[in-house]
Amino acid sequence: MAPLQKRAWYSLVIGIVFAIALVAVFVASGDVTTFDENLGLRLAVYALWVGTPLTYLIIMNPVIRKSKQVDERDKLILERAPRVQYLAILFSLVAWVIALTEVFGDKGVPVIYLTLILISTLVISTIAQSAGILIGYWRMGHVNGQE
Amino acid sequence: MVRNNRITNNIRRLRFENGEMSQQELANRAECTRQTIIAIEAGKYVPSLSLAFKLSRVFGTNVEDVFKYDE
Repeated sequence: MAPLQKRAWYSLVIGIVFAIALVAVFVASGDVTTFDENLGLRLAVYALWVGTPLTYLIIMNPVIRKSKQVDERDKLILERAPRVQYLAILFSLVAWVIALTEVFGDKGVPVIYLTLILISTLVISTIAQSAGILIGYWRMGHVNGQE
Repeated sequence: MVRNNRITNNIRRLRFENGEMSQQELANRAECTRQTIIAIEAGKYVPSLSLAFKLSRVFGTNVEDVFKYDE
């Protein structure tokens, strides 16, 4: 397994754990309105929110910076990963729009959802980056590398 | 000979003809990872022109002796 691929696995697992932790914190604390009123919950969510991309950077940066561990094939995969990231973010935003429209309709969406959309987008983006790298390795193992 | 669409390569044969050179040694000398050598040998990845030249230099041959483009 290539060093970048190994790191992408670690990053994906940690990203998913952070995402599950975020949902668990919300479920345990009540509902979304609690987020607005409970400072402790907000701080916990912000810590998890910042933790996800920070962990990604800590895991991925050393391998990307060491040129001997990343060659042209890894770089090609790394360059293609944002395609998965773009799709994941697009789908998550579509899901948010549909869900919020169905739930609130013309009554107006509470402002707190803007923060939640931002948090989920960042977490999904980080997870999708790792997933994109792993899909790149998987694809290169199944189809040829020519375009 | 490993085929990748119309590009084939003789890397595996050339490695054995060059003192049973390991994939890791070839990777080190061509400045790429062992995983890339494995992918090229299996015909799952076509290297860039610069890596193709580096590989052929390691074997002391021309690019055409390592890679072939089938018309």
